Amino acid sequence: MRFKGLLAAVLLVFASASVALAQSDCTKIVPPSPWGPNDETGATNRVTPAVTKAAAAEIQEGKVVPMSWILKDGIPLFGTRFTKTILTATSLAAGGAFGENELTYMEDTWLSQSHVGTHLDGMGHIGRKDCYFNQIAMGKYINQNYITKLGLEHLKSFATRGVLVDAVRVFQAAGKLKSNPACRKPCLDKGTVITAADIQAGLKMYNVTLREGDIVVVHTGWGDLFDQFPAQNATFNSGEPGIGKDAAKWLISQKVVAVGADQWAVEVIPGEDPKEAFIVHNLLITDNGIHILENVRTDLIAEEAARTHRGTFFFNMTVPRAYGLTGNFVGIDGIR
Amino acid sequence: MTGSAESLTGCTEPPAPCAGRRGVAFLIPVAIVVALVAGLAGEATGVERRFTIAFANLTEEPGVLLEGTGFTGREVRESFALAARAYPVDLVFYDNHNDAHRALANAEDAIARKVDLYIQYFRDSAVNAEIARKLRGADIPVLAVNYPVPGAPLYTADNSAAGRVGGEALGRFGSGAWKGQPVVAVLIGPLGAQADRIPERAQGVVEGLKSHLPTATVTRIDTRGDPAQVATLLGRFLAANPGRKILVAAMDDTTALAAKSVLEASGRLADGAIVSHGVDRSIHGGMSDHKEIDPSNRGSIVIGSVAFYLDRYGYDVLPLALQLLRGEPVPPRTATHHKLITAANVFIEYPPYDMQ
Repeated sequence: MRFKGLLAAVLLVFASASVALAQSDCTKIVPPSPWGPNDETGATNRVTPAVTKAAAAEIQEGKVVPMSWILKDGIPLFGTRFTKTILTATSLAAGGAFGENELTYMEDTWLSQSHVGTHLDGMGHIGRKDCYFNQIAMGKYINQNYITKLGLEHLKSFATRGVLVDAVRVFQAAGKLKSNPACRKPCLDKGTVITAADIQAGLKMYNVTLREGDIVVVHTGWGDLFDQFPAQNATFNSGEPGIGKDAAKWLISQKVVAVGADQWAVEVIPGEDPKEAFIVHNLLITDNGIHILENVRTDLIAEEAARTHRGTFFFNMTVPRAYGLTGNFVGIDGIR
Repeated sequence: MTGSAESLTGCTEPPAPCAGRRGVAFLIPVAIVVALVAGLAGEATGVERRFTIAFANLTEEPGVLLEGTGFTGREVRESFALAARAYPVDLVFYDNHNDAHRALANAEDAIARKVDLYIQYFRDSAVNAEIARKLRGADIPVLAVNYPVPGAPLYTADNSAAGRVGGEALGRFGSGAWKGQPVVAVLIGPLGAQADRIPERAQGVVEGLKSHLPTATVTRIDTRGDPAQVATLLGRFLAANPGRKILVAAMDDTTALAAKSVLEASGRLADGAIVSHGVDRSIHGGMSDHKEIDPSNRGSIVIGSVAFYLDRYGYDVLPLALQLLRGEPVPPRTATHHKLITAANVFIEYPPYDMQ
């Protein structure tokens, strides 16, 4: 009896495990990567030496325009995300210095989720069911600490051309800008859908034709609420203007590397279909390996573009490539 | 002021249009010619023309709940604004303020504005008939929401169907989990609220429940619209029914949450199962909200709530309006597709956007 009981328990454990590990047929849910069955890199495959060399032509004055926000207590964080630093400064205490040169030091512990502040969404961030980029059944490749496929360590370079789409100016020019009263400068209001036609109008505004390997950055003005932290955090997080599905599909057709914007999800919230969740994330990342850049600081580059009538720049981004991460806080500069 | 109207393009307060009215009379023939040419050009180039659609809401008074649910007029209005993003539509919003004079004035204003279609959400059948007559005279098609307008296709909640969905869920649970045990059923909420068609909802619940538990006794507890009564009335019922399993059909989410509190306070949580109606934000939310219907709360005695989707009316009604405007057939009656929302499907049906 005891053996039978034990056997039953073992069978139950196996049965539960098989339920927990039940996998979808990802070939029916996610398209294959155009870079082959073993690809874990995604769209940075497009940043070839030729692409980087061509992008370098954007550096004409050597002017560096910051495009990321300072990560600091009080900035708006999405959902229940957190980021916190703890300073270790013990060597400043009396007798704590080292050697005759009385060396002192300080270090930090950074307790943080990776998708905070200006950040990059990696290939392992978003899936459909358990299926992620390149039909990878992610359930097999996770442990308590990290993902073992599609981590940031697989990324190639982001040294490419950045292209600004100033959606605020596009909407102003079309006479359809409906700003939010909390924005100090003109902004698109939350829920405003930026369409493919709007993106194309924004490119036309600066006479830009997209090239394979570009990174497109959309200025909606919503980032002004981020800049007012913490006063406008609730408004900032309550929704956002952003690209809709047809804009995403058009950008995919242009073979870009990443799409960024000055709000927290790049895509319009509330979404176009109330029954879909972050569908643009699925379209860009899961189906096409195109990165998303959130909370990009766009106001300065937008001013620069308006002043000089040039919407392109060299996109300089540092991504700490920690093993198995799904995304990370990044530093971005637009170099002109 | 004849009513309160606001268009998405920023025009407010009828009857003055955005650009002002002075000196426009001489432009009218020109405008007609331009409109005709533009219309023909639109047809020739395949560019779809934009329609101006008026939506006259029942009431947007803060705190006033609609259709025996926890939804407000503001949520209904916002659903139209959000849904309109996908269509070649400019909306003009009116608030009928639950007032006959205001409703008539709003329709008259819409006629003056020459809107392409009028969506009427108002309870009074005589007023709706008068509005239908006026709009017909102006050759403006009408769509009715929840209450018929003569000659107009109707989009409506189906309280009987919703009640049946809730009743069946309760009956299924009772006949399965509590098979062979003494089970009683309670209908609780504003049971006499005819205007909100709660009696139809309650009757649907009974039919659904009886399809699984034909011999179950059903007790009706009418809170007369005061959720504070739930504690007293349900508490009394629980005390009178010791040792019995209780299937609670709450007519709305507020009542359901109050009923759960009563069962908890009485130490009878294990004896209760609740199904509610509405699925408003008091009972479900985002990842961080942890409301009663939540994937992390699958053990709740609130089995689920039947969705009424007032926060999605625009997504259902505007396609009908466009069909009507394009001369396509529209069924005389289209009902909300009510569905039971549980911990297992709440994030499918209402995707949260505060995910971690």
